[in-house]
Amino acid sequence: MFKSILNKGRRLAGIGSIAAVLVASAPAMAQDKEPIVFGGSIPLSGVFAFAGVHLHAGLTDYTSWINSQGGINGHPVKYVMEDTGYEVDRSVAAFKKITGSNKVPVYYGDSTGFMKTIASELNSRGTTLMSGASFATALTDNEQYPYQFIPGPNYTQMFGIILEYIATQGKDGDMPTVAFVYSDTEFGKDPIENGKAKAAEMGIEVVEEIVTKPGSVDVSAEILKLRRVRPDFVVFHGYVLSPINEFMVQMRQMGLDTQFMGTFWSSDKLIINKMGADADGYMGVMPYNYYDSAEGGPMLDALRAEAEKSDPDAGYRPTGYIQGWFNAMVWTEVIKRTMDAGKELTAENMADSLASIKDWDTGGIIGIPVSVQDMSFPVGRIWRVNAKEARYEPVSDWIHLD
Amino acid sequence: MDWLFFGEISLAGLAMGGLYALIGLGFVIIYKATRVINFAIGEIMMFAAYLFLTFAGGMEMSPWIALPLAVLGGSILGGVIEKTMIRPMLGESSISVVMVTIGIASILVGLVELLWGADPQLLPGFLPRKPVFIGEMYLAPKIAYGFLIGAALLIVYLLYFRFSRGGVALRATASDQAAAYSMGINVRRVFNLSWVFGSLAASLAGVLVAATGGLSPQFGAIGLSVLVVVIVGGLDSIVGALVAGIFIGWLETVAGAYLGGEYRMPATFAVLAVILIFRPYGLFGTHEIERV
Repeated sequence: MFKSILNKGRRLAGIGSIAAVLVASAPAMAQDKEPIVFGGSIPLSGVFAFAGVHLHAGLTDYTSWINSQGGINGHPVKYVMEDTGYEVDRSVAAFKKITGSNKVPVYYGDSTGFMKTIASELNSRGTTLMSGASFATALTDNEQYPYQFIPGPNYTQMFGIILEYIATQGKDGDMPTVAFVYSDTEFGKDPIENGKAKAAEMGIEVVEEIVTKPGSVDVSAEILKLRRVRPDFVVFHGYVLSPINEFMVQMRQMGLDTQFMGTFWSSDKLIINKMGADADGYMGVMPYNYYDSAEGGPMLDALRAEAEKSDPDAGYRPTGYIQGWFNAMVWTEVIKRTMDAGKELTAENMADSLASIKDWDTGGIIGIPVSVQDMSFPVGRIWRVNAKEARYEPVSDWIHLD
Repeated sequence: MDWLFFGEISLAGLAMGGLYALIGLGFVIIYKATRVINFAIGEIMMFAAYLFLTFAGGMEMSPWIALPLAVLGGSILGGVIEKTMIRPMLGESSISVVMVTIGIASILVGLVELLWGADPQLLPGFLPRKPVFIGEMYLAPKIAYGFLIGAALLIVYLLYFRFSRGGVALRATASDQAAAYSMGINVRRVFNLSWVFGSLAASLAGVLVAATGGLSPQFGAIGLSVLVVVIVGGLDSIVGALVAGIFIGWLETVAGAYLGGEYRMPATFAVLAVILIFRPYGLFGTHEIERV
């Protein structure tokens, strides 16, 4: 027990702490050039800490790996972060502190709230390109957020990919019916209106819309509503675990043969680990290959090797880890393209470099070449839980939205 | 109108309200005896639920052994908090004591993150999974059995406060501390017992609510939402906590079902606002009670 507490303490190091600065070692040849700083407001504590510790590990390990490869065009990379507790004011303070004492071309934002709050300052500074934990649809509005991007599909695009999959599941020419279940938060509501419009466009009927409080709540009344409309599919959004388990278990107890799907943050292995056999058949949209998927590729192999090297006891790495790694990968590509074009590392030049990404091979992190559209990577795949094997398995091809 | 649906929704709401009543009881017992509004009650619930997770999950004990152990652990925690952190505050302003309970809540959240990590958790299943039907009306089994367990404790409490020496001492202290002291009642012990009993009720509710809705270090927030229950019922009224708990649980569920989930909280807060205007001391509270 004591050892376990120590281990957890070590992994959660930084919780409630002041600042943490991590400088990954770089080969001697890269030391004489000015370091490139990856900044980050990271939620190591607070409500998003379950993902924050893994995002942080992904960013840390990528930094270590890229330095072992000689840095970016010979520049070593330095990762500078602070714990924010997932609070917007602390994230803003961390941003100001880190950018005040470093030249920071790229920065990790921990929430949609922070990224929206900091947008006007980011726009007026013109020095930093930002991405982060958010897949919010609003952030892909290039007019308002020209220097922010999404490291995957935004939530509306995730719904689009899910609906594309559902449309292929109709029988005898009938389109399946769907219900949307989402939390009463900005995060939960994000894709709902666009999702309904997309469903209508595709001829999929949305037979029910359920809003719940986030977190620990009883949802038996909401489940009774779903029993009356008997949807073929329920799509969850705005949750990590609960109340997805209750919907699945109770609806199955009622004898319904509804299938259940979710978006990025509700499609990690946590669902399998906590729900066990009850998770069987649950499907999620995921833009990246899972850490334990059968897929491979040079970058995915490098990620696995680096993860193993940095913490051999950690085992499976959650999707947050891969998300952190992929963010840093995109930053590297953008910085490299900007430098190769002989341009300064300004937000505008880097945003142009980002927009120039077409058919980019991510080395197996994403299974097909990807292109940036409206500051996002609108690609994903539907994966289904095989509870017996305790893993997600792909049930669709990669879907790249136009 | 679909009366079957209304009946099912109402049943679910009443059952959930029973758990709210149990948490409300935890608030009221402590307030009634000590005049302390315990803002850490949600975190005590959370702590007991994590203990259950450790006993039934990590240590693979039978859930029926793990449950009383976890509840006992939560109640001991309440007693220790009273003795080490609340008692030294005797005589200080009530706002200072409230701030201490808020500080305790933060400490418990940090402790839970350190001991169990930040990942959301599900408790090992221990309640029957077979659907419950009352006539034609369906009731989710976790809610139904959770309500029965909670109701059993409520009955034990009511009998204890009515007939036992400890219960009489607690009621006497609540109505007049000086008189109770002069009659030889150990008031300090009563204070401690009230924290133990209040935390015990909250701990049982914590395990039952977590069994339904999952567990995370943010679980304690539910304690604050139940504050509405005790303000509506009256901060010092056990009957008030029971009636208001059941009513608020029913109202929240019916509002959620007919108006949408986003109207659950506005519906309960609308009731709270009306009560505060017309009966600022709550439906069953005594007139001296101040607004929170």
